[in-house]
Amino acid sequence: MERSNSWRQFKAILRKDLVMELRTKEMVTSMGLYALLTMVVYQIALAEAGDTFDVRLVMPGLIWVAFIFMSMLGLNRSFVHEKDQGCMDALLLSPVDRPVIFFAKFAGNLLFLMVVELLSLPVFSFLFLQGRAGIGNPIWLLGVVLLGASIGISGVGTLLATMTVNTKGKDVMLSVLFVPLMYPLLRAAVGATFAAVIGGPGTVQTFWLFMAWVAGFDVIMVLVAYGLYEFVVGV
Amino acid sequence: MKRNLLAEIMLGLGGLLTSAAFFMTFFWAAPSSYPDGRVDFAQKIFYFHVPVAEASFLVFIFTAFYGIKFLTTRERIYDTKARIATEVTLFFVLLTMATGILWTKVEWGVWWQWEPRLTTYFILTLLVIAYFVLRNSVEDEEKRAVYASAFGILAFIDAPISFFITRWLNSIHPVVFGAGNSSGLEPPMLITFIIAQVGMLMLGYAFYQLRLREEELKERLEALKIEIGD
Repeated sequence: MERSNSWRQFKAILRKDLVMELRTKEMVTSMGLYALLTMVVYQIALAEAGDTFDVRLVMPGLIWVAFIFMSMLGLNRSFVHEKDQGCMDALLLSPVDRPVIFFAKFAGNLLFLMVVELLSLPVFSFLFLQGRAGIGNPIWLLGVVLLGASIGISGVGTLLATMTVNTKGKDVMLSVLFVPLMYPLLRAAVGATFAAVIGGPGTVQTFWLFMAWVAGFDVIMVLVAYGLYEFVVGV
Repeated sequence: MKRNLLAEIMLGLGGLLTSAAFFMTFFWAAPSSYPDGRVDFAQKIFYFHVPVAEASFLVFIFTAFYGIKFLTTRERIYDTKARIATEVTLFFVLLTMATGILWTKVEWGVWWQWEPRLTTYFILTLLVIAYFVLRNSVEDEEKRAVYASAFGILAFIDAPISFFITRWLNSIHPVVFGAGNSSGLEPPMLITFIIAQVGMLMLGYAFYQLRLREEELKERLEALKIEIGD
């Protein structure tokens, strides 16, 4: 009985975020636009590299830089709304368990992040990889990294954004706290993406090794974030 | 009162031991040498760099420990303790960074190298600094304490990663202890190191206690001011 109740609350909060997003399309648009702008900046960065330069060598780093900054934009947005419209206060007043709030916000952020990531990857390959060597390993491996790393990003991000939305320099504060904490995860995500993109003998094994690292980070960090959320929310 | 005296004893003893270790480093412990027989004078920094680095990891444990204590009890003193532990951590972290960079320049020929230990330790430095940036950006006192505790706990996760990473991955950073059966240090070297390490930990304890005492006095002063003001 209790479990189904939590499940209903979880669905209600998630549905609220989805409905709001579908009506305003604010998060996906701003995150997507941000990703697109990053691509323009990448063109500048690669402008003098020449046609023979293998973009695949730097591609994993480039896409994860874009995704981490994009995710911060979305995370910050997601909680500014809750705060400005008094939604968080209403949630805290209603008899909803705090962990349910955490998992619902986490799921919403994960979903939006994944959507924009999946939209911007083809754009990246359209802009930078045309007429060059393709992806070396089966493409679904990229999907695995995207999901694995996005879980960690959204989990820790949900906790940190809940805190930073109440600080003076909201978005700046989020990046100061978020980027160093995410270092181990991003490093592994770039390693796995590189193995997936380059291909060749032994790279699938390297890929799964890095994925084990990503998974370990996800488990530890999401558990800690879940444990701390109850204390952080609503002080 | 008893604790205060202990802090002073530790301060004196720690100062004595670290100073003694400093002289032992140069006059007693034999210099190590490269495989080709040349004297490796830069190795002397080992007797300072490693003790401060170990101290930084050990003191950082208290940030997380008092963070958890604060969140479970909500007593303000634990937040103050966590903050002061982080201050002492920052002090040791900066010393570790400074001495480490000097050593890498001499030994590796560059000031900085993105290798696993240096990278994770750099991240640790950023996290410790971020802890204070976070504190400064929250005005409400209870929020500040809760957020800082939560972040301190999250940030601490990097400490064991940084400590053990040279043992997990291929790292060019030397591993003196725990890599194989013996440390390869001759008795005078080992004794000098142990004295430096123990002295440094005593200093760490003393800094922590004395800062805590200062903070408590400050709070009492503030309370008295308010009392007189009324």
